[in-house]
Parts: sequence; C-alpha cells; structure tokens
Amino acid sequence: MAGPLAATAEPATERGRRRRRPRSAWLGWLFALPAVVVYLTFVIRPLLLTVQYSFYDWNGIGAATWIGLDNYVRLFTDSELSATILHAFELILFFSFVPVLLGLAVAATIRQIAQSRLALVARTVLFLPQVIPLVAAGIMWTWLLSTTGLVNQLLSAIGLGSLTRAWLGDFDTALPAVGVIGAWVQIGLCTLLLLAGMSKIDNSLYEAARLDGAGPLREFRSITLPGLRQEIGVCVTVTVISALASFDIIYVSTQGGPGNATMVPGLEIYYLAFAEREVGMASALAVALTVLVLLCVLPIQRLTRDGTR
Amino acid sequence: MIVTRRETLTGRVLLVLLMVLTVLPFVSLFVTALHPSGTYPDGLSWPSSPQWGNFVDAFQAANMERLLLSSALIVLGVVPVSIVFGTMAGFAFGHLRMPGHRLGFLVFVLGLTLPFEGLITPLYYQVRDMGLLNTRWAIILPLIGLFMPFSVLWMRAHFVTMPDELSEAARIDGANTWQLFWRVHVPLARPALTSLGILLFLWTWNQFLLAIVLVDDPAKRTMAGALGAFQGQWGTDIPLLCAGSLLILTPTLAIFLIFQRRFVAALLQGSLKG
Amino acid sequence: MTLTPSGRHPAGRTRPLFAILALSGALAAAACSAPGGDAPSAGASAPAAVKTTCGTEPVTLKGYFETGFPLPKTLADAFTAQFPNVKWDIREDQFAVITQNAPRVLSDDPPDLMRIPQMSELAKDNLLLNLDSYASAYGWDKWPASQLEQMRFGSNGERGAGPLYAMGLNFSMTGIFYNKKLAAQVGMTQPPQTLADFDAVLQKAKDAGITPINQFNGGATGGLAFPLQNLMAAYGETAPINDWIFNKQGATINTPGNLQATQHLEKWIKAGYLAPDINSQDYAMMMSRFIGGKNLFIFSGDWESGNLDKQMAGNAGFFLMPPAQAGGKQAAMSAPLTYGISAKSKNADCAAFFLNWVATDQKARDIGVKVGGSHPMGPTDAYMPAVGQDTVTASTLAAGATIGKDNGAMDFIANATGAIYAKSWTPQLQKLAAGQQTPQGLLTAVQKDYESQVKG
Repeated sequence: MAGPLAATAEPATERGRRRRRPRSAWLGWLFALPAVVVYLTFVIRPLLLTVQYSFYDWNGIGAATWIGLDNYVRLFTDSELSATILHAFELILFFSFVPVLLGLAVAATIRQIAQSRLALVARTVLFLPQVIPLVAAGIMWTWLLSTTGLVNQLLSAIGLGSLTRAWLGDFDTALPAVGVIGAWVQIGLCTLLLLAGMSKIDNSLYEAARLDGAGPLREFRSITLPGLRQEIGVCVTVTVISALASFDIIYVSTQGGPGNATMVPGLEIYYLAFAEREVGMASALAVALTVLVLLCVLPIQRLTRDGTR
Repeated sequence: MIVTRRETLTGRVLLVLLMVLTVLPFVSLFVTALHPSGTYPDGLSWPSSPQWGNFVDAFQAANMERLLLSSALIVLGVVPVSIVFGTMAGFAFGHLRMPGHRLGFLVFVLGLTLPFEGLITPLYYQVRDMGLLNTRWAIILPLIGLFMPFSVLWMRAHFVTMPDELSEAARIDGANTWQLFWRVHVPLARPALTSLGILLFLWTWNQFLLAIVLVDDPAKRTMAGALGAFQGQWGTDIPLLCAGSLLILTPTLAIFLIFQRRFVAALLQGSLKG
Repeated sequence: MTLTPSGRHPAGRTRPLFAILALSGALAAAACSAPGGDAPSAGASAPAAVKTTCGTEPVTLKGYFETGFPLPKTLADAFTAQFPNVKWDIREDQFAVITQNAPRVLSDDPPDLMRIPQMSELAKDNLLLNLDSYASAYGWDKWPASQLEQMRFGSNGERGAGPLYAMGLNFSMTGIFYNKKLAAQVGMTQPPQTLADFDAVLQKAKDAGITPINQFNGGATGGLAFPLQNLMAAYGETAPINDWIFNKQGATINTPGNLQATQHLEKWIKAGYLAPDINSQDYAMMMSRFIGGKNLFIFSGDWESGNLDKQMAGNAGFFLMPPAQAGGKQAAMSAPLTYGISAKSKNADCAAFFLNWVATDQKARDIGVKVGGSHPMGPTDAYMPAVGQDTVTASTLAAGATIGKDNGAMDFIANATGAIYAKSWTPQLQKLAAGQQTPQGLLTAVQKDYESQVKG
C-alpha cells in the first residue's frame, strides 16, 4: 500500500482504535438504550413520583393538596404506622437470622456427605419452597397453623396439648407464626447456598485441622465461617430484603391482623393507597421502606464483600 | 477425608429431617384436598372417603386452562424481551464500556434492592393513564422494567469476563459491532442466558403484587395472582382451596422437576451475583 | 463467582448518586404539577331519560358479588332464564376484599352491578350512579320509606335523606340462632325474655360443657360487632346509633349506654361464654361449626335461614335479642342487601331493570325467600311465598314484623364509614376479646377514628 499518503498514515490498529472510540460511544449507548428506556419509564419515573406524592394529601381521584413533610411526621408519631416498621424488623429475626444460623449448622454437619446421593436428592427437595409462589406457602401454612391444623395435632401428640392455639389469630403468636412461614421458605436456599460455598473451601485446611486435633466446633469457627463470608453476606441480604418488603405471605395469611399485630410496611402501603385512599401517606411509607432497605443492605454488603476473594 | 461414622450419621439424619420438614406442608395440602368440600379436617388425617372429585371441581372452578395460558403469555412477553434488552445493555456496560458506562451501570444497580411496594402506587396510576389497566400488558411492561437491574447486572458480569482480544480479532475480520454482538458474543453467553431465562421465568410466574393491583380478572393474571383470586373466591372452603392450590402449583413443580439441575444452579448463582 | 459488581464498592461511588436522586426527587416534587385531576362529576345528577327495559340485543352484565352467598347468582340465573339475551360475567370476592377494592374497581374497572358494603364515601366521590330517575320510573319511592332510607345520601354528607345511590336485593333481619337440641339439654324451652334470662342460659350452657356462643372475629371482619350492637340497643335507644351510622352532625358512639353494653360484652368474654379461638375464625368457620352442632348460639342474620333450614332441618331456632327490662322494645340490625350501579356502568338501564325485577317478579321473590332467607323489597302487600311453620325462615320473617312494630330497625355499626370496620371496629374488638383493651378504651378509639374518617 505504498503511496503518497502512506508515510503519514498511522499503523492500522491505532487508526482503527481511534476511529472506533467515538463510534462506540454512542453505539454503546444505543445498545443500552432499550434497557434504559424501559427502566426509566417503569422504575425511575414511578420512584420519583412516589417521592412527589409523599408531599401531598391525595385520595387518588380529586385534586391533591400540598402538605410538605406532614406525612413523614405522621409516620413517626403515629404508633400504628411506626409499629409496622418494628414488625418488619422482628420478621428479619425469623426470615433471616434463623435460616442463616440453621443453614450454617446444617451445612456444616452435612459437609462430609455433600456428594452423596442423599444430598443430591436433598438439593432438589430443599429448593421446593423457593420455587412455589409465596402466596402458596402462605395458604399452606395458614392451614397448618389453624386451630385444627397439623401443628396443633403434632403438639397434642407429643403431650404438649396445652400449648395448642390458633397461632395466626393470637395477638402474641401471630407475628412469630408468620415468621415461621418465612423461615420455612428461606431455609432451603440458605442451606444449599452455604453448602455450595463450603465445597469451595480447600479440603486440605480441614485435614490439617483434624490432624492438629481440632474438634468440629473449632473447625467451624476458624475455617468454615471465614471461608463463607461472601455466601453468608448474600444469604443475609436476600433474606433481609424479603423480610422488610414482605407482602404476599401476610396478605394471604393474616391480612395484618389480629388487630395490627402482623401489619408490615409493604401491606400497609397497599391498604393506605388502594383501600383507604391515602395516596400521600402510602407514598411516604413507601419512600421510608425503600430507604430502610438500602440502609440495611449497604452495610451488610460492605461487611461481607471486602476483598476476601 | 477423615470422617467419623457418627458425623456421617448425624449429617444424614439432619438432612432427612430437613427434607421432611420441607415436604410436610405439601403433603398436608394434598391430604386435606381429599376431604369432603366445606369441612375442616383435623390436621393430617386421611379421609374416610377420599374425594378425588375435588380436584376436578377445583380445575373447573379455577378455569385452569385459561390460567395456564395467561401465565404462559405473560412469561412469553416478559422473558425474551428482558433477556434481549438486558444482554444488549450488559454487553454495552461490560464489554463496549463506552464513556459514562460506570454511572449508567450504577443507576441500574440502585434498582436491585428496590422493593416493588416502593413504586406500586404511581405505577398503578401510570398504567391506568396508559389505558393498560386490567390487561396482561399491565404486568408485562412494568416487569420488564423491574427486571432490568438484575438482567443487566447478570449479563454484564458475564461480558466482563470476555477478553478484548476476541472482539479485536473479529473486528479485524471486518465485523461491525452488531455482528460482533450477535455472531460472536451471544453464542458464547449461552449458559448465562439460560440461567437468566430460568430465573426470570420463575420470578414472572410467581409475581403476585403487580398481578393483584393492576389486573382484576384472574384469567389475565400470573399463576400466583390467580391463586390469590382463587383463595379470595373459594378460601372459605378449605378442601377445595387445597385442591385448587395444588393444581395451580403443579405446572411450576413439573417444570422445576424436569429442569431441576439447571434451576438449582441458576438460583444459587443468581443469589451470589445479585 | 469471584466477580463483584462495581456498584457495591465503598461510598465514594454511591454518594454522588444519592445526591443526584435526592435532587431530582425534590425537583420533581416542586416543579411537576400536583397529581390528580378534578373529581368526576358524572354522578351528581341522575340520568335524565332512562329505559325501563333490557332491550332485545345481547347484553353482558358485569357483576361483582360476595363469595359464599348463593342468592345473587341464583337470581342471575333465573333472570337469564326469563330474559335469554342477558348474560352475566360474575366475579366474587370475600366481604373484606370487596370493601377494600370498591373505590378502585368502581372508578377503573366498573362493574354494572356490585355488592356495596358501605356506600357513603363511594357516593361522595361520585362513583355510584344516582338512581332517583329509576326510582320514580319504577315506583320504588312509593314503597315504605324505611326500606330505601339507608341507601340515600345527601349533599351534606349524611345518610338517610337525599338522592338514592343503591338498591337492596332484600332487607335482612339479624338476631340469635340457636341449636334446638343443645338448648333442650340445658333446659331452655323458649327464647329468653330478658337480658338477665339470656345470661342465665349462657351460664347453664357453660356449666354443661357446651360452648355457649361462637362468633367469627378473625381476619378483617370482627363479628363481635353483632352482639355488641344488639347489647347497645338493649341498653339504649336505636336513634342515636342510627345517627352515628349515618354520619349526622355531632353523633357519637361513646355514650354511657354503649359503655354499659360494651362492659356486658366484656363480662361475657371474661366469663368464658365465647369460644376461646374467636379471633382466628372467619364467618364460614363459624357457620360450619354451628351447623356441625358444636355450640349453642351464634349471632347472624336471616341470609342463613335458607341454608340452616336445609342443613339443620328442624333443629335451628331464632330469636331477637331480648330487651334489658321485661316487655321492653326490641331492636335488631336490619339493612338492605346493598347493591350499587357504577357511575360509569355501560349497562345501567339493564342493571336497574334487574333490580326492579328482583323486587317485583314472583319467581324472584320466591328465590329471595327460599335461598336468601330474607324479606324482599317492595310494597307491604306484595306477593310473599308460603313458608313452612316450623322453619327458621318463618321465625326470621316474623321477627321483621316485631321490629317494624317496635320501630327497632338499625343499620350496622360496621357501615358507618368505608374503613371503620376493617381499621377500627375489628382490631378493637379483637383486642377486647384477647383482654388487651378496655370497654371505654374501645369506644374512645373507635370514636376518634370515626371523626377523622368522616372529616377526610
């Protein structure tokens, strides 16, 4: 390709790269455009509107009146509304801590047989609660927890008949009962996730610990736990989000009752916006819930992802 | 591996216990469904005369064929489009890495932890003003949007692992960016695409909140939304409710059992990446 | 799995993002116009010219009915049998869900005919069709005024007078149903004549190991409102209660007479006269247990008469709540089974024709009594089917005459506002049943909720 201009031409690759950069700038955005448009229309716009609505008093039909931060003030002073947030935190105990702790215990115990046929079957079975809709889990457990349900039947069978009650209808046990439903849904996921994480921990570490005479507990604390940091982080994040944003299970089992005992923010938003026609208040609670989830999740991510891998 | 007999036994017992605990509610559902309609059976008890007809009644009452069709249509509307959009954006953010890609990606990541209740109220009025209320589009379009953060994240995570040399070689051969995407990268992304598809299918099929707020007709909802309507209408008749619930769960369970290995792998990876 | 998305890294990246979003949120709030448009004024005046027929063209009427009650469906089927060009598209939901969905459904997915638990706010927001033109065209305004009174809503925000916004499929009578066999076991040969007699029977039942009263009080529907309101009427006048339900100026539920009534209910709860698990029972479970002979009394209404005559033939009895003093006046909740036509309904004429048919057609009235158990609407001399002497239906119909004589008809306290039942009465009654609320506390809380709901 010798010619008059050849000497001034840049090497092929460099010329190609410089020409490619400006082209791929808008081409890249063109590729991202459909996703961005759908996301902006159906996620970002409603999110911003929620923030806007939260400053108004609106019943969804007529005109809206600006009331500034009144909804937020009411959120923190109204005992029933702030109780819903407390309930969400209580649910974290059941939806999150119980599955993670139990999952750790179980995964640690079955580590040795993780490749056996039994474990393979278990992998499928333990995932069933994650595959069915949460509504179905709610319906199943509502029946199990009722006065004539299986739970009471089992309690009577082992002689604890005095403890039987309508678990979801009793003021003191309703929220923990809902928590049990959530724990049932999450425990399989956590166990399998932690088990999968454990399989990545180098076996020679365990061999060495055994040779040094370490028992199972010591093994767990020094090898298993640190090695599972990321998986624990994921488990906790996923389950905390599901506890804070819970809607399906409670809608189907207790509708927030008895009284206000199992009301959670997700359900309260729905009732406020669509049944009580208080769109402004619902939006304020929605903003609070969104911020709350972020506040809970970010520290967990920070703690468990810091460059261990 | 140094392993004691006792540890293996404990492990096995624990595993079996956990499995029993997981399966027991399903069994209870099945057994209760066989009791005479309108009764309140005592816990887990096999009925004296099993009413297999309850399943037929529930099938007709729930209009199962229409429910299946509706859910399938919604999945067909949501999953392919989400995969395509997510892959294209993931390719842009992960491989093309145009100026501003970091900020753009961050905006998507923000949506990952967003609870749906955080936007359901304006979404309702927005869908209503679009005239889509009570149609399947009311579920399909918002879901595509709501799934974008995860889809983009997932596919970007894949494309980041693709070496630049691969694209350079293709360009030298004369490929433009679209051909690069479609002919070179997408085939290589197939495992990630399949897993994403499975996850999105599951989340669409089980979507409840959008279904009950935006669509009144159970025959236009997702399976989970239809179950909600079924419980609303027949919830006072426990055996019928159990029969209907089991029927509505069957397609999900069947698909899960057939593709179980893919499902489990996808769900595990999905949690880690997300 | 060793990849970490860049977004999760330390705050340096996310902080500017938050700032951007917060700013745009504020901008959106300030700059964008306020949400919501003008309220629809469609229903403000009644449609001028109305057709009193369903025509001959095929029509599909959209109905939204209450699950568990076969009456409207049976009527709909009979209607189609007589008018084959009219088909029905019926959706059913439970009472609490209908109440929740009503505002949304009426404005965005309007049915032609809908079960309306509570109509004041719906009428105020112009979601229900003004039926005055139909009332004069069909002659409903010539019926006894008390039948339509509860469905009138005035521009002053009070019920009881003004344009007609709903119609009833019938009007119900409520009271106490009892199991005759169990009653014989405790020596109750005739319905108690005073409140004290009633208390005595309850004690006898408890002593005999029979659950005296079972009442649904779970979920979003606190059925203890039934005995509570009966006690209120036994201790006081019905007029103040009706005024409160109709949102009349200055009405209050927090009165000394009502306090005594609530205390009496608390006495029953503490004495163990109510089943221990009422807070987890829904209406269907209560009926199922009663029909299964598991307890002596329930508080319900004549919509169950047909059902009880079929499933407990000859074994079910009914009586009105006895007065506090012997020979005193009796009162009971008696309300129309309210159905409304959406202001945006496409087949309003046909829906109104159906409502008229239900009250005037002989076959419809037969169904109304045999399946619905209640008294159909209409003039006092209208056709009434013959009812067996020994049936519960006969008792409930006869009770209607007593209430008419004593002028003791009340609407339900659960119907005072759209949210008073689910958000106020139900949680408070559940707390009372669990011993977590005092009678005075209950009345004060409900009155406070009432005032804020009537204002807003």
